[in-house]
Formats: sequence, C-alpha cells, structure tokens
Amino acid sequence: MRSARPLALGALSFAAILFAWEAGVRLGWLNPFFTSQPTAIARALLGGMQSGELGRAVRVSVEEFTAGFGAAIAVGLALGIAAGWFRPVEYALDPFIWFVYSAPLIAFYPLFVLWLGLGAHTVMAISFLLSVTPITVNTIAGMRSLDPLLLLAARSFGARAHDRLWKVALPASVPMIAAGLRLGVGRALTGVVIAELFVPSGGLGSSIAYNAGLLRTTDMLASLAVIVVIGVICTQALSALEAQFSSWRTGPGL
Amino acid sequence: MDKRLAISTASIAVFIAAWEVAPRLGLVDPFFTSRPTQVIVAAADVVRSGTLLRDAAVSLSEFAIGFALAVAIGVPLGLLLGTFETLRLLLDPPIMAVYATPQLALLPIFVLWLGIGMSSKIAVVFLGASIPIIVNCMAGVRHVDRPLVVAARSFCATRLDVFARVILPASLPGVMIGIRLGLSRAVLGVVVAEMYVSQDGVGNQIMRLGSAFHVDRLLVYVLLVSTFGLAATSAVRRIEERIAR
Repeated sequence: MRSARPLALGALSFAAILFAWEAGVRLGWLNPFFTSQPTAIARALLGGMQSGELGRAVRVSVEEFTAGFGAAIAVGLALGIAAGWFRPVEYALDPFIWFVYSAPLIAFYPLFVLWLGLGAHTVMAISFLLSVTPITVNTIAGMRSLDPLLLLAARSFGARAHDRLWKVALPASVPMIAAGLRLGVGRALTGVVIAELFVPSGGLGSSIAYNAGLLRTTDMLASLAVIVVIGVICTQALSALEAQFSSWRTGPGL
Repeated sequence: MDKRLAISTASIAVFIAAWEVAPRLGLVDPFFTSRPTQVIVAAADVVRSGTLLRDAAVSLSEFAIGFALAVAIGVPLGLLLGTFETLRLLLDPPIMAVYATPQLALLPIFVLWLGIGMSSKIAVVFLGASIPIIVNCMAGVRHVDRPLVVAARSFCATRLDVFARVILPASLPGVMIGIRLGLSRAVLGVVVAEMYVSQDGVGNQIMRLGSAFHVDRLLVYVLLVSTFGLAATSAVRRIEERIAR
C-alpha cells in the first residue's frame, strides 16, 4: 500500500491541474486564446495522430535526437577515456571542454545552416555539441575517481596497461559515465528543441514555432505535450540505467 | 599544477595559431571561421561602438531579475517540499515533468503571453533556473542525516529549531548545487530567448550578427557570454567549496 501512495498523489495532482485548467476556461476565468484547454489539446493530438502529421514530427525529432545523442556518446566516451587515461590529453582538452560547456552554441546556428543546410543535420549538430560535454566531463571524472589501489593491485598481478584500462578503470567508472549520460540526455533534448525553434526541420520544436507564428495556442501546446512525454520517457530510462549500474558500487563515496 | 597550466596554455596557443594560419593558407574559408586577429579588431570595434553596454545592460537585468526570483521562490519551495512528504508527493510529478522537458520549448508560449519585451525573457530565465534549484534543494533536505534530526528532537528542539539549525545548514550543499546548475541555464535562457524574438540585448545582437555572417563580431559576443557564464559558475563553485570545508 505504501508504494501506491506516491502514484495516487501524483495522479491526483495532474488530474487537479487539468481539471482547474479546463474549468477555468469553461467558467470564463481563463482566455482560451492564450491558454487553450485540455480537451481541445487532446482533440488536436488525436487529429494529429490520425492525419499522421504528429507521427512525422515525432519521427523527425526522435531521429535528430538519436543521431545527436548517439554521436555525443561515441565522441564523449572516446575523448573522456583518452583524457581520463592520459593526463596531458586532459590538460590539453580542458579549456575547450569548458568553452563548449559554457558557450551559447545556438549562436552559431546560421553558420551550421550554411554548412549543413536548413534542416535536420543542423539540429543534429547542435544537439551533439550540447550533449557531448557532460558525457566527456563525467567519463574523465569517473576515471579520475578510480581507487589507485585497484590499479596497483592489477599491476602487481601482472595486468598490462591495456588490461588495466579495459578491465579495471573503465568498469569502475561506469556509474559516473551513466550519470553523464543522464545529464547528456537532457541537454541533447534541449539542443533538439532549441535548434528546431530556429531551424525548420519538421520536428516538434519547429511545429511549436510554426504554430506560434499563427497564434494557434492549441496546436502549440499539443506539440509541447508530446515533448514533455518524450522528455519524461528519456529521463526515466536513463535514471533506471543509472540505478542499475550504481547498484554495483561497493563502499561509500565515488 | 604547473604542468597542467603549461599544457593547457600550449594547447590554446596551438589552436589559435592554427586558426590564424589555416585561413591564410587557404585551407579553410575565413568567411566561416574568421581569424583571431580579425576577432581582436572586431572586439575593439564592439567596445568602441557603445551598443555593447546598452545590450549588456538589458540582458544582465533580465538575467538578474529572473535569477533572483528563481532563488527567492525556488529555495524556500524546494526546502518546504523536502520537509513535508505529502506536499512533495503531490507536487513532485508536475515538477519532474517540467524538469525532464527542455524548458526553452515554452519560449513561444511565454512570448504569446507576455509579449516580446523583457518580461518573456525574465519568465524563461525564472523557469529554467528555478527547476534545478527546487529539485536540488529538495534532494538536499532529503539527504540530511536522519540521526541528526532525531538527536536534535530528543534534546527537545522544536520543529522550527530542527529546521533552522539542523536541516537548513545540512542541506546547504544541495542548495548551492541547484543555484550553480540554475545559473548556467539562466545564462543560456537569456541568450536563446533574446535570439528567438527581442528588440535589444546580447542575444538580439548575436542573432543579427549571425544572420549577416559577421563571424568576427559574433565570436566576440559569444566569448563574452561564455566568459560571463564561466565566471559566475566558478564563483558559485568557490562558495560551495568554502561551505564544504
């Protein structure tokens, strides 16, 4: 029964928000031009599903996200392992990592449009750049936080550098890497949505920007609702992954 | 530490040299990449033109108001949610939904509600910054050592005492992490919001320069924003370290 309480209360609060919103519009307290209403949004979602328009937008956004985040995982892990294992590489990369981390990269989107065209490739590039840094930083941190005794023990049992990296250092940094992936997922999604606001790619963010231009609040909020669902699914999946890997953690800290 | 500084400096120097030389040798098109010397000249232009101060003042005030509101509302709300379980169970799911969503997706709606002036930017900054602050304050309270609370209670501390003298100090690290994460989101929020639609501000300038492909001056503004973000974040990090000690 205890585990049912959070679920019940959570459902209750969502129901209360939707009910207050719908009632507010029907009683004339909220102007539906600005706020729309849950039933209208649900109808727009159904309509979008039937016409296939919604499915197309979701497919475009998910493809951009997958490509951007996938590339970020590959590059972030490679850079992170190299920098985590060889200190000079870390020192050389450090200034650039922090620049990419803190720069408003979306500022370069007109250049990306020139290079990659007005569409999905530009969105992928921005999503990649936003999500590659937390993955790199966390991979480095994971390999740095490795207990040196483990490496010494492996060495004294005759493990070669190659084995020490792949069989000791890397597995030990998996929890930190998983945390980096969770941070990266949020930024990759942010990258897709921001880039789509500026670059018409046919995705969900572009649909928001397009409908905003036409002052169609209902369609705008329908696309937003889909983004919320995708965001929750991604975050939950990565949190589950992270929990799975941190269950190996032995001892305090890390 | 010296070795670190030497290698980092060398790596930046190599990058800048390559960036200067490659366009001169015709390896890359300077139209896209500009050159460090051009960026320096552009920086002097930007400083001399006087628009920088005006734009920076607009962006900074949007940032400061939105972020101050986020701290003023987010910290108490997060601490309350961490302390009262029923309240947390009730509000956690909607907060998590907003947390998992890129808050900048709400930008067009804020523009519709609040117009293209400063208030829509302040709203975006507020939302973007307050969510990580709330979530981390909540986590900070929940990670307070339970035996400490029990010990305080058994020495007859009132609930208010427990909150003010045990829970609040012990959750400070979580609060600071939230503030640091919120800060970087706030900086990004101001720039993106101004780029989306605005009449002035740094993001507005970035948008104009980018669309006109003035890469040199664009880089000056981007470097300014990232230096500001980096400086603010490391200032908070320094406070965090002082608290941890």
